[in-house]
Amino acid sequence: MTTNRPTFETINTGDAPLPLVCGPLTRTQFVRYAGASHDFNPNHHDEVYAVANGNKAVFGMGMLAGGYCARLLTDWLGDGSLQRLRIRFASRFWPGDVLTCTARVVGKREADGKGLVDCEFSAVNQDGRAVIRGDATAALRR
Amino acid sequence: MDPNAADKTFPPYEFHVERGKIREFADAIGDPNPVYRDPAYAAKQGFAGIPAPPTLLRTFLYEPRAAADALAVKDWSYIVHGEQEFEYFAPTVAGDVLTAQDRIVSVTEKESRRAGKLQIAVIETTFHNQRGEKVQIARRTLVETGKRISE
Repeated sequence: MTTNRPTFETINTGDAPLPLVCGPLTRTQFVRYAGASHDFNPNHHDEVYAVANGNKAVFGMGMLAGGYCARLLTDWLGDGSLQRLRIRFASRFWPGDVLTCTARVVGKREADGKGLVDCEFSAVNQDGRAVIRGDATAALRR
Repeated sequence: MDPNAADKTFPPYEFHVERGKIREFADAIGDPNPVYRDPAYAAKQGFAGIPAPPTLLRTFLYEPRAAADALAVKDWSYIVHGEQEFEYFAPTVAGDVLTAQDRIVSVTEKESRRAGKLQIAVIETTFHNQRGEKVQIARRTLVETGKRISE
């Protein structure tokens, strides 16, 4: 939603948006995402089940962290700009965790008449441990 | 997982992309962007309607079980969602009726020191809208570990 969006001309390798900080996360946020996303894996909403399954608590959905990072990208590069988005799940995150989402441009190219930027992104917890990592390609206006 | 499931294609299924679901999803990921709530704002951004957030369509892939069942997983508690990828070809907006079709791209094996023998399945879903336009491909990677992965 930034008004000063980068264009294909102005953006450069190494550019990065302001980080997006999410949390401290609550069980309620996990339950809300379960309902919205239809991900009813009980490890994410049923503490009794999750603990019996060897977890210290319920843990967040990787796709919830993916949603946070996708928001970082669309706020930065524009709604509808994404051509590709890949999320790799690295570790679990828990109630009380604070996730910091960051991204940066790793390349800039033209293909099929489009000005494309390649980005890497990640969400890390308060200890600096990656929860997800990913990469994306966006088409920017000129 | 059954390696013979590779290259299988499953019957298409249809679902509606509703405005209320888009807003609920945006709320759940804490995204206050008016593009997911205000049709006039979305129109000003050049969309034919309220657009789907980038990761929304994964939401419609939990219920259809044909592809997952074809993998013949013995114990789903050993399955990890390793990776999720989306390719975007055209916007999806509220009111669209999408047809999705799943295909198991591959089932492969890999040796991991941390987790023993791994089996890796890639399921690809292709989405077309009511005008027959291909709008998205979603690819999810499921990993079956030889033992439970601990922190």
